[in-house]
Amino acid sequence: MAALDETLYPIAVLIDELKNEDMQLRLNSIRRLSTIARALGEERTRKELIPFLSENNDDDDEVLLALAEEMEAFIPYVGGVEHAHVLLMPLEALCSVEETSVRDKVVESLCRIGSQMREMDLVNWFIPMVKRLAAGEWFTARISACGLFHIIYSSAPEMLKMELRSIYNQLCQDHMPMVRRSAVSNLGKFAAKVEYAHLKDDVMSIFKGVTQDDQDSVRLLAVEGCAALGKLLEPQDCVERILPIIVNFSQDKSWRVRYMVANQLYELCEAVGPEPTRTDLVPAYVRLLRDNEAEVRIAAAGKVTKFCHILDAQLAIEHILPCVKELSSDSSQHVRSALASVIMGMAPVLGKDATIEQLLPIFLSLLKDEFPDVRLNIISKLDEVNQVIGIDLLSQSLLPAIVELAEDRHWRVRLAIIEYIPLLASQLGVRFFDDKLGALCMQWLQDKVYSIRDAAANNLKRLAEEFGPDWAMQHIIPQILEMSNNPHYLYRMTILHAISLLAPVMGSEIACSKLLPLVINASKDRVPNIKFNAAKVMQSLIPILDQSVVEKTIRPCLVELGEDPDVDVRYFANQAILSIDRVMMSS
Amino acid sequence: MLKQFLNKIPRKAVKTDSPDTNGMEQGDNSNGFQCTLGGATFSSRFNVVKRVSSAVFPTGGTEAVDPHMSFKVVSNSQKQSLFLSKLTLCCELYDFNDHDKNYSQINLKHETLIELVDFVSSGSVKFNEAAISATCKMCAINLFRVFPPKDRSNSMGGAGEDAEEPMFDPAWSHLQIVYDLLLRLVSYSSLDLKVAKKYMDHSFILRLLDLFDSEDPRERDCLKTVMHRVYGKFMVHRPFIRKAVSNIIYRFVFETQRHNGISELLEIFGSVISGFALPLKEEHKMFLLRALIPLHKPKPLGVYHQQLTYCVIQFIDKDQKLASVVIKGLLKYWPITNSQKELMFLSELEEVLEMTSIGEFQKVMGPLFRRIAYCLNSTHYQVSERAHLLWKNEHILNLVSQNSQAIIPLTLSALERNSQNHWNQAVLNLTRNLKKILSEMDEELVTSSQRTSQEEGSTLSSTLEKRKAAWERLEAAARGSLISTDSAACPVTF
Repeated sequence: MAALDETLYPIAVLIDELKNEDMQLRLNSIRRLSTIARALGEERTRKELIPFLSENNDDDDEVLLALAEEMEAFIPYVGGVEHAHVLLMPLEALCSVEETSVRDKVVESLCRIGSQMREMDLVNWFIPMVKRLAAGEWFTARISACGLFHIIYSSAPEMLKMELRSIYNQLCQDHMPMVRRSAVSNLGKFAAKVEYAHLKDDVMSIFKGVTQDDQDSVRLLAVEGCAALGKLLEPQDCVERILPIIVNFSQDKSWRVRYMVANQLYELCEAVGPEPTRTDLVPAYVRLLRDNEAEVRIAAAGKVTKFCHILDAQLAIEHILPCVKELSSDSSQHVRSALASVIMGMAPVLGKDATIEQLLPIFLSLLKDEFPDVRLNIISKLDEVNQVIGIDLLSQSLLPAIVELAEDRHWRVRLAIIEYIPLLASQLGVRFFDDKLGALCMQWLQDKVYSIRDAAANNLKRLAEEFGPDWAMQHIIPQILEMSNNPHYLYRMTILHAISLLAPVMGSEIACSKLLPLVINASKDRVPNIKFNAAKVMQSLIPILDQSVVEKTIRPCLVELGEDPDVDVRYFANQAILSIDRVMMSS
Repeated sequence: MLKQFLNKIPRKAVKTDSPDTNGMEQGDNSNGFQCTLGGATFSSRFNVVKRVSSAVFPTGGTEAVDPHMSFKVVSNSQKQSLFLSKLTLCCELYDFNDHDKNYSQINLKHETLIELVDFVSSGSVKFNEAAISATCKMCAINLFRVFPPKDRSNSMGGAGEDAEEPMFDPAWSHLQIVYDLLLRLVSYSSLDLKVAKKYMDHSFILRLLDLFDSEDPRERDCLKTVMHRVYGKFMVHRPFIRKAVSNIIYRFVFETQRHNGISELLEIFGSVISGFALPLKEEHKMFLLRALIPLHKPKPLGVYHQQLTYCVIQFIDKDQKLASVVIKGLLKYWPITNSQKELMFLSELEEVLEMTSIGEFQKVMGPLFRRIAYCLNSTHYQVSERAHLLWKNEHILNLVSQNSQAIIPLTLSALERNSQNHWNQAVLNLTRNLKKILSEMDEELVTSSQRTSQEEGSTLSSTLEKRKAAWERLEAAARGSLISTDSAACPVTF
């Protein structure tokens, strides 16, 4: 009796749990399917568990998703690859679920399983399943089928291959746009498995049909197909077959399709090769740069540099540069911003002379743009142009731009420019920096917004790293000393924060002689928040400073704070004392 | 003759850039489905026609009439051809963004459009084949356009991102009249449907349905009226329209979650459904099951919930047996974190239950009242209140009292939890009232289930124990068999 119980047991547990009203419990039990399978053993898993799962698939999507995930790694539990086909049964049923995320996962699992199955089993089990799905009455099954062809095609015998190609053709012309979309987006993967002769004929004629679909949602997926198929075709065939399609797409009546072309432009150029790009895609690209829809121009403007890299300088100057000039005064700020984020990269392509003559005026006008993002994008890529023409030509216009951004009323803009200051410092050099930007860096320490003050302190640290302690000693420390007496406690707090960041960079000597007195001073502040922050800074200084200094100066100060009336001050002082003790113990 | 000419043009036009005529054949044999190539041929048809139109339309035996003349000054025999040439004039599109440049032409077109509408409404128009074809062509050229992308320039401003202004087509002043003209054509009492359907084909309807995504509520309203009329008039197109709308809904629910015209489409369907013949065809039931019920899932449900409920109720009104199916669907898509949606579900549920027979009710009452029990316990007081209010409905109360054995135990434990834990005073009052109602219904059952619910508290921990033990035993068994299978599996796994 007990033995009988024992054998029925695992599946009974599962049945019981899957009946529970609480979805979390059902989910948990699905997650532990492998345990049940191991307990049952391979044969009973095949004969009892898998059929049970195939029949019980009327559950919440979340549970089904988990089931699909579990099945993916289930091959060992059913007895290895030779039995893998039994797993198709529960998954096939899930292919018709409405919820997209479940279906996607099921297809992924099926692909994983199919790629491990033996060729014979694929022909006997997997291909018939795909055919059933592709003929499915409900469109979800057909959608799932589209993603499985690339797994089976190579294993199919000749006759079956022909049939598979024709089924795929049917799917590409399905009356449901959803199915056509799935067929188009999987076409590249399928085409990669098809023999070249058929690729050139069958697949290309399927593709040609797809590119003329009346739904733009289908056509725009075909744009990606252009790149995928183009890479599979031999250069000559690609130019003959794919290039005209790309050119057509670039003039599609739907802006979404044109946007897609602009977005995929580099991949498309790669597919057709440099020579046809120069002859045929340049005019197409120029049209996109001048498109009526800002959205298309944004995508196109963002590809200017990558595209120019494929061209030679001459063509770029002749065809692309005039458009770039137009775009730099485009009515949409987003177009200008997209352009500004890449335009600096054109300098190496055009060479020094052309850059100075043609690009520089554009840089300068973008640096004066009314929209801060445009200016920021230019500044962020300064290093690229510096390599070609040096910074001197730009520095005249840079400064007003930086100053204006530094005082922008949106704190996010100020924050962005602060983050570029170390980059600017390294590009512009100490001299320029001292004259012009030093004051700004100090000014940010007293910003109204905390994030800016915080970033400003960090910036000082990075500058000290860039220019060295001696420079910092001269240019930062004196001003810090001065600001530590600011009547506003929040600004005094920023200074404390800056000190804790600067101390490790400056080295123990300066930290001890210049910075420590400030901290000690702060520990006698009238505001408790300053006092406990001073305690925290002292704690951070312990590893930097000499032990004797710690004992002589810091500990007495902390002991005093440890008796403060404010509970937080006492807490942080004691924390700091504890860490002194720990250092003492370990040394 | 005209039609033949029109049909020949696209074939040639397409052929020139595609040596592959394979797809074309399918594009033309309209076997009830929208074909992949339909749109492409369609648009090129009109583009080509546009260029040659002046040569095409005045072929009715009368010579061309200057479109700038007024209907008043020409003889009656010339009016029809003047109508055609005015339609041709209105096929020209002008850039409204460059208003100054095109000012006079835009005005002229506006006046011409008004003249056309006046002429049609005066009743003196004859919608023969040439007139139908020309009107459809003019409508297609003006109306069928790709909507521009959403303007991003405001979204950077920070505040007020949610309250985006809908985008209005600058050419609306023209579009409005074009819609009016189209509506008059469709409503034309002695319209020859056989002829009209050649021009208002599947592709035309599909493009019209695509326009429902317009951001302009005025445009969607026009479309609603036109499409409703088309559905009413063109019996042959009905299955196709239903199918195409289903596709729009599937795309919205399962792919994009964005569409501006769902509520208008549902409004059309509200009256379509009420016109379904009994017994309901399987196809229609599928529409309920596969399109309407999943429509409860997307986040913007609030925009079209009222119309959706109306459609669902229409179905149940037609066939009582659908009530349990609908309730199961609602339970499947019941929102978990969105209280606003939950309120909508509860109010829809009440309407559905109102029409549910006792037999249907019994099919779903278990899961249904477990869900309602959760709602009673909701920490969102509006949800909880709304769930309590279900009992105020007499029909529902009646259903409950006839099945009190099953429902009272489920409800009571939720009410107990409320009276112990709920934070909201109003909810506490409602809970107290509801308990009273249930006690009046079946005093004995209430006390006995109160007792069992208390006991349940103590048995809960023991069931947890049991579950844990069960899994542990399984774990052990798995480990045991792993050793044996591992050695057995070794030669097989490579």
